Parts: sequence; structure tokens; C-alpha cells
Amino acid sequence: MGPDSAPDPPVPWRKVLWERQPFPDNYVDGRFLEELRRNEGLRQYHYWAVVKEAGSVGQQLSCVAIFITVWLYMEQGLLSPEVLLLTSLVCAMLGYGLHQVLASTVDSGDEPRTRLADLQSAAIFLSFTYGFSPVLKTLTESVSTDTVYAMSAVMLLAHLIFFPYTQPSPPGSLSLNAALFASVCLASRLPGALHTFAMLSCALLVFALWPCLLQRLREKAPSQFTGVCVGMCIGGIGGLGSQSLVGAVLLALALGNVTFFCPLLLITLQRQKDNIQGPWDEAEIHEDLSHFIQ
Amino acid sequence: MGQRGRAVLQSNASQQESSGTSQDALKHNRKHNICMVSDFFYPNMGGVESHIYLLSQCLIEKGHKVVIVTHSYGKRKGVRYLTNGLKVYYLPLQVMYNQSTVTTCFHSLPLLRCVLVRERITVVHAHSSFSALAHDSLFHAKTMGLNTVFTDHSLFGFADISSVLTNKLLTITLCDTNHIVCVSYTSKENTVLRAALNPEIVSVIPNAVESTDFTPDPSQRRDDRITIVVISRLVYRKGIDLLGGIIPELCLKHPDLNFLIGGEGPKRLVLEEVREKYQLHDRVRLLGALEHKDVRNVLVQGHIFLNTSLTEAFCMAIVEGASCGLQVVSTCVGGIPEVLPEDLITLCEPNVRSLCAGLEKVIARQRSGAVPTPASIHARVKNLYTWRNVAERTEKVYDRVVGEEVLPLHMRIQRLRSHCGPVAGSIFAFVAVLDFLFLLLLQWLVPDQIMDLAVDASGPFGMWNQESGIKKRTSSQKS
Amino acid sequence: MVLKIFYPQCCNLANSGLLIGSWIQGHNSAVVLAVVHYPFIPGQVKRYIQQVSTASGVKLSVLGSWSLPSEAEKGVENFLRDLRTIFPQDRWLQISRKMGQTGFNCSILDRSQGTILFVHYDQRNVMLSQLHPIQTEELDPSDSELRQVFQIVSLSQPLFLLDRYDDGPLKSTHWQSGGQEASIIVELLKMASVPLCLTISCLLHLLPLNFLCSKLSTCVQLSYRSDHLRALSSPKTAVGHSEFMRKANVLVSILVDMALGFLLMYWLYSDNHISMLANALVPAADHVAKELEELLQWLMGAPAGLKMNRALDEVLGRFFLYHIHLWISYIHLMSPFVETILWYGGLSAGLGLSFALALLSDMVALLTFHIYCFYVYGARLYCLKIYGLSSLWRLFRGKKWNVLRQRVDSCSYDLDQLFIGTLLFTILLFLFPTTALYYLVFTLLRLLVVVLQGILHLTVDLINSLPLFAVALRLTRFYRLAEGVKFSVLCDEPDTPLHLLMEINPLSCASVIKTYRTPTYSCYPKDSWTNLVKKLFVGELIYPWKHKTIKTD
Repeated sequence: MGPDSAPDPPVPWRKVLWERQPFPDNYVDGRFLEELRRNEGLRQYHYWAVVKEAGSVGQQLSCVAIFITVWLYMEQGLLSPEVLLLTSLVCAMLGYGLHQVLASTVDSGDEPRTRLADLQSAAIFLSFTYGFSPVLKTLTESVSTDTVYAMSAVMLLAHLIFFPYTQPSPPGSLSLNAALFASVCLASRLPGALHTFAMLSCALLVFALWPCLLQRLREKAPSQFTGVCVGMCIGGIGGLGSQSLVGAVLLALALGNVTFFCPLLLITLQRQKDNIQGPWDEAEIHEDLSHFIQ
Repeated sequence: MGQRGRAVLQSNASQQESSGTSQDALKHNRKHNICMVSDFFYPNMGGVESHIYLLSQCLIEKGHKVVIVTHSYGKRKGVRYLTNGLKVYYLPLQVMYNQSTVTTCFHSLPLLRCVLVRERITVVHAHSSFSALAHDSLFHAKTMGLNTVFTDHSLFGFADISSVLTNKLLTITLCDTNHIVCVSYTSKENTVLRAALNPEIVSVIPNAVESTDFTPDPSQRRDDRITIVVISRLVYRKGIDLLGGIIPELCLKHPDLNFLIGGEGPKRLVLEEVREKYQLHDRVRLLGALEHKDVRNVLVQGHIFLNTSLTEAFCMAIVEGASCGLQVVSTCVGGIPEVLPEDLITLCEPNVRSLCAGLEKVIARQRSGAVPTPASIHARVKNLYTWRNVAERTEKVYDRVVGEEVLPLHMRIQRLRSHCGPVAGSIFAFVAVLDFLFLLLLQWLVPDQIMDLAVDASGPFGMWNQESGIKKRTSSQKS
Repeated sequence: MVLKIFYPQCCNLANSGLLIGSWIQGHNSAVVLAVVHYPFIPGQVKRYIQQVSTASGVKLSVLGSWSLPSEAEKGVENFLRDLRTIFPQDRWLQISRKMGQTGFNCSILDRSQGTILFVHYDQRNVMLSQLHPIQTEELDPSDSELRQVFQIVSLSQPLFLLDRYDDGPLKSTHWQSGGQEASIIVELLKMASVPLCLTISCLLHLLPLNFLCSKLSTCVQLSYRSDHLRALSSPKTAVGHSEFMRKANVLVSILVDMALGFLLMYWLYSDNHISMLANALVPAADHVAKELEELLQWLMGAPAGLKMNRALDEVLGRFFLYHIHLWISYIHLMSPFVETILWYGGLSAGLGLSFALALLSDMVALLTFHIYCFYVYGARLYCLKIYGLSSLWRLFRGKKWNVLRQRVDSCSYDLDQLFIGTLLFTILLFLFPTTALYYLVFTLLRLLVVVLQGILHLTVDLINSLPLFAVALRLTRFYRLAEGVKFSVLCDEPDTPLHLLMEINPLSCASVIKTYRTPTYSCYPKDSWTNLVKKLFVGELIYPWKHKTIKTD
């Protein structure tokens, strides 16, 4: 029974412990590791499908760029707050209409929000933003501009990193909060209280409501979704280009990188994947057991 | 260093030669000085702890000298003696996480050297890959020129980052370990893959169960009901979420079904919520943490033993359940299919549906009375896994290991670099050189020759044996 | 086996006779207590031993015989052996001194000869000393040997009292006490103290001292003092060593306290010191207020180059400035009465220095009330901000605090909740430094006052709890409080057993204080330093000198 003690006997070896077998303890049978499996359940990606999915990342990046463009215009006084408010209002109405249309085509299982609830939310947004805008205006007065810019940049980056790209509606708490924090910081640098109010409304539109509409669009009309993404990207590059050419070039490079190069990298590296599975792996619970306790 | 270890062997051998035995018999009668090292030992409770303790007791019985090295637990520091002169060193090392010590690769060397030299250790036997102290001791023992054995008690995946790191560490520490012991064939395959080992130096020696502690007692059962017993820590790895799904399914179908659940853990909440939601307070009893001595009394109250583990190297619980005469239903994961013969266990896939189907089959058989009696099951199981057998097989591993040569430093460095990859291999080759230099410094400060030798408590010249021998003699005189 | 014989030094030169003493239970040793001289009537000796045994609770017996080498008679040997038949014993010690030898010889009759060891002890010291740590006074066979020796010797006091006037039928040698360790004055005082105690305790019962106002340290001190007096004046005599020591300590500390108090009074009321103090006090308070005002002005600018929120800064600054203005008016309103208050307050020193100090502490608290107020406002505001920020930070990360399970759960908030939460979070975050600075400055001021009060409290506590009697006892009669013993070799001659001298090791001063200090609130566990810092950080109000149950906030 000890290691290296007996020559091969005629009986076949079995992978059981309860039977005393005439083999040494360190015997290695031909069937050793026969249950080893490699790369089980590996997904094969297609390049254009991945590019299409990556489009939503590029789109979000462009959203941030558009927001920054709007802020730049506001700061230089090229865009008056009234115009921005009016545009935002129109966009919001159009978007809400589109949202309702898309919702009515196929009714999803969840109970829909009533118009009243939507109106209530809108009232809360507007009143709070309007009420706090003088406070927000003075909030960062004593903080240096560089600090505010750095903080906003970090927060916008956090927004992009933590954005739930697979399930953007409702937007994830952390990413939305980071974006709102950044917009408050930026808005407080603007000259007047009304500017602040207009900027925050715009931020709400871009960071909170737009992802909801886009998600709807993606569910209901996938073909249009691609078009919208491309449109947003072009809009972002164009808008930034009107203010700073370098910024536009950098954005274009980033977008190209995210949407075209990264998928290529994924597909090439996927071939190198070597994953080992076997009976020793921890079993996974695939079923949803939460209904037993809720 | 190596010379010292061999010198002891030779002196041992010369003593036995003088008694006039042949070379072959000598090989079998050779007694070893074994040092078991692990972070896990009493007062901590668990499978590894009892494995080390019971194996050591059986080895002492066979005449070997065994000392155990672990880290200090609270106020328990220094040297303690357990039954039969089993000496335990509780080293004052800092605990980091989950009872595993902090490792810097060096700071444990002075203490370990002290123990190994004082006790004239010939074989270092480390346990559990979760134990940093075990890894440290394997490394230092090689620096000091001792032969090493390692027992792996657990299974590991390959996918996540923590297992990648642990596997690399295992590759390094096991790269010049003489022999590895695994508790099941699945565990062997796993360890060979993880540490990139030659399968020839890996032995499979299953765990054992003290079957005299787990005897059936059908009178404790309630005949009008069917009781399913679950005894495990209530954690995710033991599949307690599955259990939370099984309980309502079966309880709704069978009104005469009871659950008896022993153990404690974070998943207790799941079971309590299930019990509350389905109003099963009179049918599902949660006993909380059980002491080892109480386990048998709980087991004998049941008809069916259920194990829902998601991973398991060698499941002692199902052997204990079968030893108490229960029908065993278990998930088919890890080494579980190797443990019991097919007619004593019902294996299921690790999901609620399959487990429920398996349980229902066994319940139907139990109802119809088509199950063997508890006594007959016990009779079949009781001799499957005994500690005596484990000790015999481990002894053979030791016999093989002490004959092997310990790699000198330059060979060791070569092996590390060729075996563990260029980066990690080079780093740890450097660490090995530093360790060697540190050892030289220690040997210069306190040479081995002037170190006091410890009094043997166990082993061929153990004081404990002699005392008990004297006692036996006097008692026989009296009688 | 070694047989140990504890032998009193005073009996070294006693005339020949019988050894009276006791065997120590559970150990192979004997304590000799006295030597009864020839001639005696055996019946009387037996009756005498019987009496003493019942009176003291120690099992006394005749241990053996003692002989001086004065007249070397041949018959003595036999006579001594015959004595054993009169007093039947298991073991019979025969101790004798020889001419020209300092050591004694000893033989044990009817036993296998073992080694014998003589330990000489000073009977008076051992009898009066108390071995520490203190345990029960009862004889317990499981106690250590040394403890039993001490107990046997001290319990056998009746043995020495019975022949006090030297007219008994027996003559014996032992530590000859000329009365207790005191004089007739002490005895008389003891007699007189009983009616005094009775009257004081009656008075105390009549006084309505239950109105315990925990806020004022004077009242706290008053309640402590009345407790002490109550304990002191209980008409029962103290049972046991520790209770006696406690009473004595309390009495001495009260006396010392009052003496110091009278000294203070003498100083205050001579040379018109009171009015000098009163004249200095009001300008000092004014000065403090001025300084505070300047500090606030500084805070309202850009303190230390920190950029604070201008609007909030101004609001807070004005609020505090108004407060100081109120305070100054209050002080000026009070200024005519300060001298009178001080004059009457000074009378409290007649009750003891501790009362004067406690009153001083209360006055400091009253005079720095504005600082306390600032601190409370600052702390409340800061605390509110901290709590708001921590919960909004959880919202920021999309988490919430689950009260039932005491943990942080993830939670999906609504869009409007997130929006308002983030808005508030941003506002609080940018306003936080301003509040924190105000809090920091006022906390530092508050800590200054707290340290001052802490020193006063510590002094009062020291007066209350220092065991002066025990310390004095340790200094003058070191053997009364023993920590252990030390042995030295007395003589080691070739033919005689080894003689050791046992001397008492006095208790160290530190452990005297530790053992006998009167328990006061400083002995109770208080907040640890880390806990204190944590509380300061979170903005909870701190009262570091108060003990936990008194604190009602």
C-alpha cells in the first residue's frame, strides 16, 4: 500500500478510496486527469457585434464631452442661460414624448409610472435646483479654480468608470452621483445663479434622463440605437471641435480606441485563453434561490 | 544543516545495527522524529486540527517521536503536553487573517530552527495550504537540509486572482518538497495541477474517522417521522443556500419530515428566514454550534444524512453519518464520489431539483423499509477508514522520504528557477539565498552544538513511555 | 522530611519547662508559642490549655519539653521522657541547650529521625502584623504554611492575656506584653467615641442629604463626605483588619483635610486677601472675553490662510460675537456681588480643603460657561454635519444603513432621491471645513478648561482617597503590614540543626496605597484615550472627569 511497493497487478485501478486496492499510494493510472477540461463554455465573439456593444461606451464618453462643451460656452458667455433652459425644456419634452411612445408600443411587465409621478419628480428637481442655486453659486467661491477643475475631472472619470453600461436604466447610484457632483462643481464657477440653475438642469438631462431614453431605444429599436450612438459621437467631436481642436482630436482618438481597437484586442486575446476545469471546482448555484426567502 | 539530520539518522541506524537486525528489517523499524507544522491546531477546531492530532497519536503509538508546531492562541503560548507526551509548541507569531500567521519568509526561521534542532527532527510534515506557517516551515526545513512532507487538505480553483497567487506560492514551496500527501484522488489531481508536480511524488491517503465514536442507536429515532440531519458549518461553500431551497420543497410535500441542523455560521440567517416564511419552527430545528462529542448524539436521531457542499476534498461528515447508520444523500462534488460505495450513498447534482429527487427516492425507500439496518451499514463502514491505517501509510511515506537526498543550495536555486518560472523563481531563489545566509548567521551566533537538546516525551527514548512503562510494570507486580 | 519548628526569640533563655504551641495542619511543622516553667501541676496545665484553645480557636497542645543546661542532672533526661506519659502526644519534641553552644539540639521521640530546622521569629512583630494580600481571618488548612503561622500566632493572644497580672498558677515565658500597643489614653478615647459616634450618626440621619446634585462638584464632595462620616460613626466596632484600616484612614484624612482647610481660611481672611481676589477676578473674566472676541474676529477672516465659506463663516462669527457680548454684560452685572460671594464661599474651607477646592472648580465652571456654550454649539453643528455626510456618502455610493441588521446594505434609490441627496452632499461637503474649524477651536478652549478642572478634581480625589493612616503605620510600625518574610542564617554549627531567623518584609509603599485607598469615583473605569479621541472626532460631548453613572446626558 505504501509508495512504490508492488508491481502492476491484473485488476484494473478504480478511482475510489473505500476499497483497498493493490496499488501503491502514489500510483498514477492512465486515467489520471481524464476529467480535466479546458476552456469550457468559452464564448466566441464576432468583431462587429463587439464594436456595436462598445458603441454605448463611446456614446457615454461623447455625452460627457457635450456637457463640457455646453459648460465652456456658458462660461465664455456665448450661450445665455435662458436659451439653454429653453433648449433643455424642448429636448426634455421631445424626449419624454419619445419615451412614452416607445413604452406604449410594447408594455413591459413592470407597473408603469404615472404621469403624475413624473410631474412630481420634475417639480422636485426644478424647485430644489432653483432653490439651492444661490447657495451652490457661493459654495466653491473660496476654493481655487484648479481644485474645482481637478475635482470635476476626477468625478467625471468616476462617472465613466462606474457607469452601468449593460443596464443603464436606472443609472447606477455612484456614477450618477459622481456626475452630479462634478456638474455642481462646474456650475458654481459660472457667473450667476440662473446660470447655475440652467447648467444643473442640463446635467440632469444629460446624465440622468438621457440614459433612460437610450435604454428604451436600445430595447425597442436596436437599429436606430446604432445610428443614435454614431450621431452622439459625431456631435461630441464636432461640439468640442468648435471650442478646442486638440480636445476634439483627443476625443476622436479615444472613441476610435474604445470602439474599434479594444474589441480587436479582446478577440485576439481570447484565443490565448487557457482555463482549466475539473471536478475540484467549486460548484456554482445557477438557480435563483431568493424566491424561497422573500 | 543537512549533515546534522543525517548524523542523527546514522546514530539511530548504528544503535539498531548493534542490536543485530538485518538491513531490510532496519528500514521498516526505523523510528522518525517528526515535526508536524500547521497554523491550525487546538484550541481551534476543524478537520485539519483533528487530523494532525489523531495522526500524531497513532504515530506515537507506533514508536515515533512527534512534536507539533503551531502559532500561539491567545494566552496559550510556549510548550504544552497532550496525551501520550505529544509536545505542542505554540510559537509567538502574529496572526493575520483566519488564524493564518503573517509571513515575511524570514522571521520565523530562528524559532523554527530552535525547535527543529532541539528536537532532533528528521522529517518536517506541514499541513494545509492555507497555513502560512506550514509554507514557511517547508522553506526553512529545506534551508536546514531536512526532508519534508506536505499534506493538502483542500481543493482550489484556478480562475480567480487569489487562487492564482496561492497556487504560485504552493508551486514555490512544494518545488523541492520530497513528498506530498492528498486526501483523495481528486485532491491529488488538483494539487498536481496547481503546484506543477510530478504525480509520482504525490500519495493519496484518505482521512479517517474514529468509527467507535460513531455507533448507531436506532432507539433514538422517532419512528412516526422521518428526520433529515445536516451537520456542517453554515457557510456558502457548504451549499446552505441549496438547503434553504430544499427545506420548503420537501416539507410541503411530506408532512412527516423533520430537519435537524447542527452548526453555526453567517448563512444561518437564510435558514431562519426560510423557517419563518414557511412556519416550520416545529419541524426545522437549528441546534447551533455543536461540540465534537455531541455530534454522534445528533446523528443517531436521524434517518437520512444530507450534505450539500459545493466543494469538498474528502468529506468526513458523510462517513460519520454512514457510520451512525444513516442513509447518506450528498452532492457529487470534489472527492465525495470516491468516499463511499455506491449503495451507501445517493449522489446528486448540486442543485435543488436533483437533491430533492435524490432525497425523495431515499425517503420512499425508507418508508417501504427497503434500506439496510443501521447496524449493517455501520459494520460495513467501520473498517473503511481508520487512523491506524492512515498512520501506517504515512509511515511508509516517511520511510521513503528520509532516504532521499536534500538538494544542496546551488541545485535548489537551479530547481527553483527552472520550476517556478523566470520571475517568481528568481525572486525566491534570492530569498532562498538570503534564508541560507540568515541561517549561517544564526548558526554563528548560537552553534547547533551548544543548543540544549529537548527531553523526548514521545519516541523510542520518550520519558512518557518509560514512566508509563514503569507504571505498567509496578501494576503488574501488584497483580 | 524536614521538620520545621517556629521558635519565639524571647524563649531562647527561658527556664526549663514545657513547650506550648500548635502543630500546623497539612504541613510538617510546629509553632512554639510559650514555655511553661517548672514547677506546675499537670492538671492545671491541661485546663489552662483547654481554656485558651476555646478562647482563641487554635488547637493548642503541649509540644514537648525545653531544658536549659543550668544544672546538669542525670535524672532530668528520664523525667523529661516521663512527662510524655502525662501529656500523651503523637510526637514529642525534646529541645535542649548545651553549654558552649549557641544552637539547640532537638530530638523527636518515637519517630524516624528527620532533619530539623529551627526558625526563630519575633513573637511581638508576628502577632501584630497583618500578612498581605488580606484573606479571611479563619484558620484554613489549605492556606500556605507561612500564613498559618501568622494566623496561629495572632489568634493565640488569649494565651498571653491570661497571666497578665502575674498571679496565675502557672509561670510561662513568652512575649511579655505590658498592655496592648497603646496607652490608657487610647482606651479612654475608645470609650468616649461611642456616644460621639451615636450623636453624629443621628444627626446624619436627620439631615436630608439625599438631594444628590450630580452637576456640582461641591455637592458630590458633600455626599462623599457624609458617606464617610456615616461609615465612621456607625456605633459598631470595626470587625476585621480591613474595615478597621478603612475607618482609620477616613478619620485621618478628614482630620488632615480640615486642618488644611483652616490654614487656607487663615490665609484668606487675614490681610484682606478676599477683596484682592475679587478685584482681580472681574478684569480677568473681561480679559478672557476680549481675547475670545479677537479670536472670533480672526476666525471670521481667513484664519491661517484657510479658505472658508464666506457666508457661513460670517453667520457663525456674528452669532458667537453676540454671545460674548451677552456674557460681558452678565459679568458686569455680577461684579458688585463677587466679593460677598467669595467671602461666604471662603467659609466652606472650614469644612475642609477639599470643599474649598470643589467650590473653586464649580466657580471655574460657572465663569467659563460661555466657553462651554460655544463648545456645545460647535459640537452639535459638527456632529450633525458628520452624521449627514456619512449617511449621504452611503447614498452617494448607492448604499444604506440597515438598522435591523446593523450593517450597510446596497439599495437602489429613485432618481429624485439621488439628485437631492447629491445636492445636499455637495453643499455639506463644501461647508464642512468651516464648521470643523470652529469646532476645533472651541474644543481646544474647552479642553483647556477641562484640564484645569481635572487638576482640581484630582487634588480633591487625592485628599479623599489617600490612605494616610496606613502610610503612617507603614512608616512608623513597619512590621504591622507585612508582605512576606525573609530568612537569614542565625547559626550553623556542625552538631546542631540549622537555625534561621525569620524577619518580616514590610509592604511596599506603592502597594500600601493600592490596597488601602478609599474607593472614590476615580477608581471606576473611565473612557479610554482612544475612545475619547473617537468621541472628539465624531463630535459627541465629553465630560471626562465624571464617572459613568453620574453622567446623565
